[in-house]
Amino acid sequence: MNKDRVGRIGFVPARYGPKIVGGAEIVLKQMALGLQARGWDVEVLTTTALDHHSWTNEVEPGLHVEDGMPVRRFPVDDRVVPERAALEHAILAGEKLSIADQQRWMNGGMRVPELYHYLLDHAEDYRALIFTPYPFWVTFACSQVAPRKSVLWTCLHDEPYAYLDIFQPVFSGVAGLLFQSGPEQDLAERIAPRMANHAVVGCGVEIPAEYDPDGFRRRHGIEGRFLLYAGRREGAKGWDDLLKQLAAIYAKRDLPFTLVTMGAGDVNPPPGMEGRVVDVGFLDDDERDAAFAAADAYLQPSRYEAFSRTIMEAWLAGTPVIANGGSAVVRWHCERSGAGLCYDDEFELEQCLAFVADEPDDAAEMARSGRSYVLENYTWELVLDRIEEQLLSWTAAS
Amino acid sequence: MVTPYPPVRDGIASYAQQSVAALRAAGHDVEVLSPGPSAAHHHLDLVGSRGALALAKRVRRYDKIVVQFHPDFFYPQPSTERSRLEESLALLAAFRLAREVEVVVHEVDYRHGRGWTPAAVAMRQMWRQVDRITVHSTKERTALLSAFGPSAARVVVADHGSSFTPFSSVDRSTARERLGIDQDAFCFLSIGFVQPHKGFDRAIRAFRGLTGAARLDVVGSVRVEDPAFVSYAAELEDLAQGVPGAHVHLGYVSDENFDRWIIASDVVVLPYREIWSSGVLERARLLGRPVIATRVGALSEQSAGVEGVRLVENDDELRAAMYAAAGGARPAAHASSQPWLKASAGRAAIQAQVLARAAAERGGPLGATSDVGTVARTSQATAPLRRLGDVQLTPVAGRRGTRTLVQRVVRRLTAWQLQPMVDQINSLRRATLASIESVASRDASRPGGDS
Repeated sequence: MNKDRVGRIGFVPARYGPKIVGGAEIVLKQMALGLQARGWDVEVLTTTALDHHSWTNEVEPGLHVEDGMPVRRFPVDDRVVPERAALEHAILAGEKLSIADQQRWMNGGMRVPELYHYLLDHAEDYRALIFTPYPFWVTFACSQVAPRKSVLWTCLHDEPYAYLDIFQPVFSGVAGLLFQSGPEQDLAERIAPRMANHAVVGCGVEIPAEYDPDGFRRRHGIEGRFLLYAGRREGAKGWDDLLKQLAAIYAKRDLPFTLVTMGAGDVNPPPGMEGRVVDVGFLDDDERDAAFAAADAYLQPSRYEAFSRTIMEAWLAGTPVIANGGSAVVRWHCERSGAGLCYDDEFELEQCLAFVADEPDDAAEMARSGRSYVLENYTWELVLDRIEEQLLSWTAAS
Repeated sequence: MVTPYPPVRDGIASYAQQSVAALRAAGHDVEVLSPGPSAAHHHLDLVGSRGALALAKRVRRYDKIVVQFHPDFFYPQPSTERSRLEESLALLAAFRLAREVEVVVHEVDYRHGRGWTPAAVAMRQMWRQVDRITVHSTKERTALLSAFGPSAARVVVADHGSSFTPFSSVDRSTARERLGIDQDAFCFLSIGFVQPHKGFDRAIRAFRGLTGAARLDVVGSVRVEDPAFVSYAAELEDLAQGVPGAHVHLGYVSDENFDRWIIASDVVVLPYREIWSSGVLERARLLGRPVIATRVGALSEQSAGVEGVRLVENDDELRAAMYAAAGGARPAAHASSQPWLKASAGRAAIQAQVLARAAAERGGPLGATSDVGTVARTSQATAPLRRLGDVQLTPVAGRRGTRTLVQRVVRRLTAWQLQPMVDQINSLRRATLASIESVASRDASRPGGDS
């Protein structure tokens, strides 16, 4: 493909660093590195915070080069206004908030005024500014500084925030929106009928050269069969519900699995799950891949997934996926790949687990088509080709 | 005797009452202290170290203290290292002050006696201070010796039902008449507190498909308003709806009522997932009713040499045993007992089988439907409702501190208003699900319908 790779591309995630747990931030980093490797002039504009709960300023502001990538960091103003929690609660409860209240909610949390003003001063230095995810203040505020240059790595979920009026101008006024799956684009079309340019480009996944499942077991002292969960352990990701459901299932039947989890957040096992959950913490890429290969099944309990890289990682490792069917995206992947089962309540989860417990060989065979699904659709080469095509179409070199 | 006590309905209370009766009959002067108001002479909130220290002030008045022990009576739940340490030290003090202490163990968590944390060391010391520890099986004795290290000579095994006497004198015919059970019906009974580990859902599922005059009665109450227990009770009712002949009777069961049910039954079914030892098994034995029970905990030992007890290993055996007891009928093939499809059948077929098996396990109108297409379509339609799950009031964390205290106070002040709303919301969700499933099942069973 002949590409005119002229102009600087700014990637603008709210957090950036080697130990960030968060799909959107990890993908944006990979994307930035991928485009840089293809010859683009790439820079990252981000905050000095690493934790998306506290937004504490942890690293030095200013321009740094991190693993060959220029990174401009700006301090977070993390003073939260007292009314924000009540507004957030009202949004999540489905209440209709006035525009003023929606704005108070948006501006009542973390803000990065210096980044905003940097863009005010320097937006013209960039061909494109790529933001993610849509509900963060950085995306909401900063994408509107130079909307004709702003591209959203949208990460849209069917959640109350998506329906707020304040996001309509963002969805309709930027240079373009990139989607990771058909269902994400369908949702956006329902929510914002007058959406700006948009395209489904998928999401890239690294292909491991090899796996070391036995080594993973040995290094972490894990014996016997296990289920795996990777990612942030928090309510929004379905972690708490998963534990509750597993506790109820284990109270009813004996399953041969422990639950191994990697990532960040407190485990907080409910009664009945004490001693059944093994937290191996944050793992590097090789160890993560080994964990996927060693698992009997990967559990994806989140209903709010724009893509779900982890299920791709499981399929690449030949591991079947058991996923919350409430996520249209994950269901879509499971149906298209033929490599995952979905559940909508504890009983269906129980049966999915029973299938893997009773028929491990058939479960593994079912998962086999998952690897080819990923290789045919979601290698970084394929995804970067699609992204470049849209950037060239939607933006112009300064 | 320190124990829960009637009229509080509780297996341990019932056990204690019979022990007290036996001791008094033998000429002893017995006073009872219970954790809450009851027929006991004294009552005292025993949970937490304050309770144990208050107990310590009283023990010198007696020649002997007998404690009917269950950790929930003394240790705050959920317990922490600190709370276990404080409670064990306080109980140690109480036991030291007493002239003689006997502890009858109904349940204990052995894990908390292992290791070298201060809480584990204190707990071992507490158990070593006891003059006589009574358990109900050698398995429990071995585990207790290993975990807490008391002198082996002090740990004795007693027959669980040694003090039991019947509470009801009615005959089978009268019992059935009073309970509204047909005299000719073959009656299975699962009775006791309704908790997931009792496994009453297993009995209902195993019973499914037994036709004719057989019936299964699940009888009991929810012992504590734990959301998981309340939810389990509702689940049992839902499940029974889809199983002809299965009846769930939730509510207070007096000792007399308890025995009356056993007398009315033909077979007592104890499908426990876990249990230490079973008081119900002893009452069935006392009242001469055969028992089908799962082989868990110390039930093998408890039932050794007892005529009429059949132990089963799993759900398939449970089903076969119930069918055999009811007249030798052969279990019909059922979605949940059919073998899994092979991977070559494809993901969609396996997913459909997951839905069918889940519907059968879940019970309700859809559980009785054999048409896979109806199950799949209806499951899809009800998925948003099922994903919601039950609403529960946010639990108050077990930690100390002002925040937790405030949360507890707020909970107490608002629960009388909030809990009925929560219950109503959950009932509404279940009723909506049942309605959708009823319509779908009815349509499927009509000539020319989906099936």
